[in-house]
Amino acid sequence: MNFLKLAFRRLFRKGEHAFTRIISLAAGLAFGLLLLSEVLYYYSYDSFYPDSDRIYVVHENFKMDQSSDKLESHPRVSGAIAPGLQAEVPGIEAATRLNSLGDHVVYTEDLNSYDANISLADEHLFDVLPIPMVSGNPKEILKSPMTCMVSQELADNMGGNVVGKVISIKNYPDKELTIGGVFKTLPENTNYTYDVLVSMVSTEQFTWDGTNNWMGNDRYYACVKLNPGVKPADLVPAVRAMQVKHQDIEKLEEEYHGIVLQYSFEPIKQIHVNNVKDMIIILATIALAVLFVSLMNYILLTMGTLVTRAKSSAIHKTCGAETKNLQQMIFSETIVLFGISIVGALLMIWALKPIAEAQWGHSLVSLLNPYVIIPLVSLLVLLVFVTSYFPGRFFSRIPVATAFRDYKQKRGRWKLVLLSFQFVGATFILTVLVIVTLQYNNMKNADHGYVAKGVYYGSTQGMDGNKIATVLHELRSMPEVESVGLGFDVPINGASGNNILSMDGKRELFNVADFYEVDANYLSILGIKVDEGDDFTSNQAVANDVLISKKGAELLKLNNGWTDGVIGKQITVTEHGSTTIRGVFPDFVVRSISDPDVRPSVFFYLPEVKFEEQKIENPSASFNIMVKAQEGAQDGLMDKITEAFNIGFPLDDAEIKSLEAEQLDAYKSEKGFRNAMLIGNFIILLVTIIGLLGYTFNESARRRKELAIRRINGATLLDILKAFISDLEFVAIPAVLLGLTGAWFTADKWMQNFAFKAPLHWGVFAACSFFILILVALIAAINYTRTANQNPVDALRQE
Amino acid sequence: MLLQLNNIFKWVNSGGQRIFLLKDINLEVEEGEFISIMGPSGSGKSTLLNVIGMLDSFDEGQYNFLDESVHTLKEKHRSNLYKEYIGFVFQSYHLLDELTVKENLEMPLIYKNFKGAERKAMVADMLDRFNIVGKKDLFPAQLSGGQQQLVGIARALISNPKLILADEPTGNLNSKQGEEIMDLFKQLNEEGVTIIQVTHSEKNAEYGSRIINLLDGRMI
Repeated sequence: MNFLKLAFRRLFRKGEHAFTRIISLAAGLAFGLLLLSEVLYYYSYDSFYPDSDRIYVVHENFKMDQSSDKLESHPRVSGAIAPGLQAEVPGIEAATRLNSLGDHVVYTEDLNSYDANISLADEHLFDVLPIPMVSGNPKEILKSPMTCMVSQELADNMGGNVVGKVISIKNYPDKELTIGGVFKTLPENTNYTYDVLVSMVSTEQFTWDGTNNWMGNDRYYACVKLNPGVKPADLVPAVRAMQVKHQDIEKLEEEYHGIVLQYSFEPIKQIHVNNVKDMIIILATIALAVLFVSLMNYILLTMGTLVTRAKSSAIHKTCGAETKNLQQMIFSETIVLFGISIVGALLMIWALKPIAEAQWGHSLVSLLNPYVIIPLVSLLVLLVFVTSYFPGRFFSRIPVATAFRDYKQKRGRWKLVLLSFQFVGATFILTVLVIVTLQYNNMKNADHGYVAKGVYYGSTQGMDGNKIATVLHELRSMPEVESVGLGFDVPINGASGNNILSMDGKRELFNVADFYEVDANYLSILGIKVDEGDDFTSNQAVANDVLISKKGAELLKLNNGWTDGVIGKQITVTEHGSTTIRGVFPDFVVRSISDPDVRPSVFFYLPEVKFEEQKIENPSASFNIMVKAQEGAQDGLMDKITEAFNIGFPLDDAEIKSLEAEQLDAYKSEKGFRNAMLIGNFIILLVTIIGLLGYTFNESARRRKELAIRRINGATLLDILKAFISDLEFVAIPAVLLGLTGAWFTADKWMQNFAFKAPLHWGVFAACSFFILILVALIAAINYTRTANQNPVDALRQE
Repeated sequence: MLLQLNNIFKWVNSGGQRIFLLKDINLEVEEGEFISIMGPSGSGKSTLLNVIGMLDSFDEGQYNFLDESVHTLKEKHRSNLYKEYIGFVFQSYHLLDELTVKENLEMPLIYKNFKGAERKAMVADMLDRFNIVGKKDLFPAQLSGGQQQLVGIARALISNPKLILADEPTGNLNSKQGEEIMDLFKQLNEEGVTIIQVTHSEKNAEYGSRIINLLDGRMI
């Protein structure tokens, strides 16, 4: 018998709730599969490289003294480490290193500009991390000075045939690179990405050349490919021998008691998984919760409809159907409903594509790789079997004789169990949603210790140094502008690091978040007030004077034994030399609350005119011009500021940012998570409501006679509702408590990512429980009221 | 001997009491017989028919069908047995709503693993025999009660059973349609099919060669 054809016919039959089942299943599948595919995607990172199981990223593990047992692990090493490993450590088949120059604007000869991530790479790159080439010989290109190769995507944007063409970089205006080849664009699921690869022999043209450094300048991404059968642990003695030979590590360990410097080899496929392991647990938990609730709901509704089809089971049996035939029938129906639900889920995912892509930070198309597709398809097959097995088993076991008389399902506690799973899921996700929302709002609205509203800034990267004075004058003459200043960075972007040395200059006391130089207006633009000493507006301020945060001042007092404060004291800071502390300001949030840099911070003074001179002397130097707008004068101001900036840009390509928007953007991950929770919550609540409606509908049909007898015997509607709803709440209360426990654990784990946490107040949990319990009571009341208000005589007659 | 029931008892326990649905039933049915089972509501007629049709179990006694001891058989063997030899006709026709007439007729053949071409020929024969060729693509809801019962009987007969069990086959039909159906049963019986019917109607019972009366689960 063609069960599939029959299954399609059944879709449109009244009372089968086919579309209700499809919608709730599709919604659950859409959300659950989307989250699960993201989790699986994490496991696909860098698996596209041939022999990826043998590729490892070299990590530098170190500690400076005995104050801690914990080794700091850093995924970058010094320049000479990769070639050293290849030369001196047996078991390594090949080693390579990359040195990122970061995101840049690239110009072609026709002065068209393109955004590109640029990296320096040695000629062994394709021995370890090969990418198919479209044209050119990668080894030759990466050996030749000032030669580069570009991704196919960038080449296509540049017009296709780019080999032999010359490009320049906005930040390095006088350097020209010849394109020697084109490589296939890297997939998105990689830890190390680039659009342009420049030969490493060109390093000194762009930055200080540390390619032969055995220690320090540890900014090289080094990868090795091990010989088959070799394990990272096998390499330890040879690596140590290399360190002894080239780093004189034994002497270092003797001189600096407690210092540890080791190298480890992390499997390239595990790097991303380790970085996001908390998120994997959270996303997988939520995905499985949503899928589980949807499936429970599907089974609950399906069982309900099978009761009404009991006679058809008996008819098939009297015509000779065996158990397996009836199970095949239900299996076919499940296939059809699942098939349609999957199509529906894919359409929903398509509709959610912009949100999902913004949240995940990659295209959804990149999910279409075997690491994601194979487990998901296997899961779907398993789900089809599970969701068809139980209803099929139930349907094939309905006794024939009973089915022909008047088959009614028994009370069936399993239905309540299925329903309670939905209550657990609904409570869990609602509570997590509320907590995530609270955390996001708290972070977004928290006092960061500086003013972001009305502050705009733009980089002078690529600006003509001779025109900076004109740009500043133009900006200052705008009536909407309150103040203009200069500085190397802004708090939301974080800061570089330098060490403050002890008074004798022999010891590093502590590391500081170094914002480098700022002019006299910078701090007032950000609303950072110096509450001890003077700021840089003082006439006494001279270049290289320093302001330090309160935390730093306290550490100085403690370390140096200063009892009379820090103002006017001399300190030595690496890279800056000796400097005088001019003032102390309150600590503010460096980077974001979700990822704060907790080091003390420092600003060094540089008069405006010196900034200009620096830019003229070194066109590659760049800093920010900061603009503080007058209150209420922000409409269209960004365009005006951009126009003023463009005076200094030959190609009119200035990029102005709003500090307030950047600050908000720093929390986009939390916002995305909140939005994902919101959608998940909507789906689970929808599924739960559908499940509850289905359950109460079936229950009121099953207990119609009981309801009628109660009414005839004088029970009021309220009495009946009380009795029926309390049955449900008896199941709902423990389920809600279980959901709350899960939510507490998940939220607690998620909150561990934040230094600043919204309090997990008991009121949040109480309110969420209350909401779910009221929702259950309300839906049950509506459905039972309808049945209870029927004429009891009719109900008994039908019985 | 087609079937033999010896001392069959069936009961349910309710409120600590044993309520007998069938009590000490002894029955022998020869091939080619046409038996009518009569009795008031609740007397156990349908239960007896279900036991004979192996759709319902019994608690005590022995049941032999074509020399097979039904009471000792496992569920799978029992269902194979009734699949092979028994056809069922119901008061409410029990056609499957989502199948056309042709598909309803074809269903038992599929479960008996007949090949497609063979099935097609057998269904065509049956449609022809019952003069319902024009209705083959209609769904049950598009047929009258009499037509539906014709299809029900045709479905019961399509795999050439030795025994037809009919539970009030004319109960939902008007007198004319009922008469037509009973004539059809008579004709089938004359062709050699054994028929056991449950009926409330004295007139319909007369079509049988033997009448069995039941009261409170006991043969009288």
